[in-house]
Amino acid sequence: MMALRFSLAGALLGAAFLARGVLEADPLTHILVQLPMLAVAGALLPVPAGWERARCNAGGWAALLTAIFTIAYWMLPRTIDATLVVPWVEAAKFIALPLGVGFALRLGWARAHPLLRGFLKAQALAMLGVLAFLYTHAPVRLCTAYLMEEQARLGLGFLIVAGGLAVLWVAPLFAVCAPAPRADRAGGRVPAFDP
Amino acid sequence: MTAESDFGTVAAMRGVQERRDGAVRLAMLLGGTVFVLMMLLGLVMRLAQGGLVEIDAALFYRIMTAHGAGMVGTATLTGATILWFFTNRHVPLLAGVFWAFLGLFLLGVVFILAAIFVGGYGGAWTFLYPLPAMSGGFWQPSAAALFLLGYVSIGVGFLLLHLEVARKLIAAYGGIGGALAWPLAFGRGRPEDAPPAGVVAAMASTIFNVLGIVVGAAVLVASIVNLLVPGFTVDALLAKNMIYFFGHVFINAAIYMGVIAVYEIIPEYTGRPWKTTRAFAIAWTVIMLFTLSVYPHHLMQDLAMPAWTLVMGQLVSYFSGIPLIAVTAFSLLVYIRGADMRWDLASALLVLGVAGWSVGTVPAIIDGMIVVNKVMHNTQWVPGHFHTYLLLGEVAMAFGFMAWLTRAPAAQERPGAARLTGADRLLFLTYAVGGTGFVLVFLVAGALSVPRRWAVHATQWMPLAQAASVFAALVILAVTVFVLRYLSGLIRQRS
Repeated sequence: MMALRFSLAGALLGAAFLARGVLEADPLTHILVQLPMLAVAGALLPVPAGWERARCNAGGWAALLTAIFTIAYWMLPRTIDATLVVPWVEAAKFIALPLGVGFALRLGWARAHPLLRGFLKAQALAMLGVLAFLYTHAPVRLCTAYLMEEQARLGLGFLIVAGGLAVLWVAPLFAVCAPAPRADRAGGRVPAFDP
Repeated sequence: MTAESDFGTVAAMRGVQERRDGAVRLAMLLGGTVFVLMMLLGLVMRLAQGGLVEIDAALFYRIMTAHGAGMVGTATLTGATILWFFTNRHVPLLAGVFWAFLGLFLLGVVFILAAIFVGGYGGAWTFLYPLPAMSGGFWQPSAAALFLLGYVSIGVGFLLLHLEVARKLIAAYGGIGGALAWPLAFGRGRPEDAPPAGVVAAMASTIFNVLGIVVGAAVLVASIVNLLVPGFTVDALLAKNMIYFFGHVFINAAIYMGVIAVYEIIPEYTGRPWKTTRAFAIAWTVIMLFTLSVYPHHLMQDLAMPAWTLVMGQLVSYFSGIPLIAVTAFSLLVYIRGADMRWDLASALLVLGVAGWSVGTVPAIIDGMIVVNKVMHNTQWVPGHFHTYLLLGEVAMAFGFMAWLTRAPAAQERPGAARLTGADRLLFLTYAVGGTGFVLVFLVAGALSVPRRWAVHATQWMPLAQAASVFAALVILAVTVFVLRYLSGLIRQRS
C-alpha cells in the first residue's frame, strides 16, 4: 500500500514536472491543473507512524495553518510570475505544494473538528468567488506573464470550480439515510454529521 | 413513540436545559437593548423629518446607516438565538459555538459603530457598490472598509452557528431531505415520523442563510478590495445582484428563524404540538426556493437587468405569501380556535408577530409589481412594508420569546396558568397601537409619494413625520418596559 501511494504521488509529481511547459503556458492549467496535481501528490504520500497522533498537531491546527499559509503564499500573482522566470522558485513550488499543502491538509483534515472542516469548505467557496471577481474584473494584468483575456478565463475557471465544489460538497447532504432514533436525539447521543 | 408522547418527553427535559442557556438569555438581553437604542435613532430621524429637531444632514445619514444595520443585525441576532435555543431542544448543540457567534457579532458591531460614528460612514446598511468608495469627502475609504469588515465578522459568526445547526440536524434526521421532512412531503413518510415543525424551519432557514452569507462574503471582500485599490472595479449590476441576494435572504432569515418560537411556544398554550403535516413540509421547501429566487424584485428599476429576472421576481413575490399565510397564519388560527387558549404577554406578542408578518406581505407584494414599483420604489411605501413585517412581525416574536423565557414560575410549571394581566394588556396595546400607527403613517406617506431616505422634508410632509414620531414614542415606551421586565425576570430567575 505504501509503495502504491509513493508510486501514485511520484507519477503525479512527474507528470506535473514533465508537462510543465504545456501546463504553465496558460494560467488556467497552471493554477487549476498543475497546482492541484502537486497538492494531490502530497496528499497521497504515506504518513509516518506516530505523526497522525502527534501532540503538536492537536486538532489538526498546526497542519491546517501550515496549509492555509502555504496556499496564501502561492496564490500571490507575483509568486506565480516568479515560478516562470526564477528556477529556484519553480523548484520550491514542486516541494512546497506537495508538502506544505497536500500533505499538511491530509495531516490536519483528519483531526480537525467537523465544524472547522465545514467552515473551511464554506470559506473556500467564498474565496473562490472573490478570486473569480478579482480575475474577471481587474483592470490590469495581475500576472505579468499572462494576458488579460487569459486572466479573465482563469477567473471564470475559479467560478466553475466554486460551483463544482459546492455541488460536490452539498449533494451528499441530500442523500437519504436513516435518521437517528428519537431517544438518541433527545438524549444527546447523536453523532454529528461530518462534512 | 407517538408525536404526543415525544412532545411530552421533550417538554420534561426543558426545565433543566433552559436554565443552562445563559448565552441565549444574554443574547436576547443585548438584542432587546439594541432594539430600544435603534428605535431611538429612528425616532430622531422622524423628528428631524417632522421639523421638530434640527440635525445636520450628514449626521442624519449616519444615523440612518446605524439604524438600518443595527436593526437588520439585531433582528437576525434574535432570530438566530431563537433558532439555536429551540434546535437545542431536539439535538444537542455545542454551547461554545454560540459564544463564538456572539463574540464575532459583538466584534462586528464595534467595527460598524466605529466606522459610522468615528469614521463618519453614512452609505446605508446596503453598502451598495460603489457608494462606499464615493463618499464625496464625507468619510475615508478606511471607514467604509471598517464598516464592511464588521459585516464580515458578523457573517463568519452566523456561518459557524448555521454549520453547527446543520451538521447536527443532518445527522439526526437523515440528511437535509430528512430534516426538511421530504419523505413526508414527497414520499410515503408518515407524519408521526417527521421532524418537529421547528426543525423543518431551522433546516430551511439554515440552508438559505448560508447561501446568502457565502455570496455576501464574496461581494463584501470584492468591495473592500475596491476601497483599498480603487482601480479594481466590479461590474456594478453584478455586485448589486449579489448584495440584494445576500440582503434579502439575510433579513428574511431573521423572520423565518423567529417564527420557530411560534411553532415551539404556542403548543404550550394550546396543549397540542404543532404538527408537521404534508402541507407544512411542502410549504417550507417552497419557502426555501422562493426566498432564494425572489430577490430580483429589489432591482426592478435596473433597466439593464434581463427582463425574465424581473418577471420572475414579480411572480415569485405574488406566490411567496401563499405558503406563509396558508401554513403558519392559517394553522395558527386553527390551533388557537380549537384550544382553550390562555393569553399572556408572550403568547399575545407571538400571535401579533404572525399577524404583522402576514399583513406585511400585502404591501410587499404590491411593491413587488413592476408597474407599481416604478412609482413607489423610492417612496416611504418601502419602509412602510418592511417596518410592518419587522416591527409588528419579527420584533414582536423576539419580545414574545423574551417574555416567555422569563414567564412567571406558575406559568412555567403549568402554561394554562398564564394570564394577561391589566398592566401587560396595557403594555401590549401600547406596542400594538404604536406599531400599527407608525407603519400606517409610512404607508400613507408612500401612497402620497413622500420620498424615502430624505434628511429634509418639505413642509407639507412634516405632519406625517410628526404623527409617526408620536407613534414611535409609544413603541419605544412599550419596548423599554419589555426590556426592563425581561431584565427583572432574569434577576428573579437567578435568585
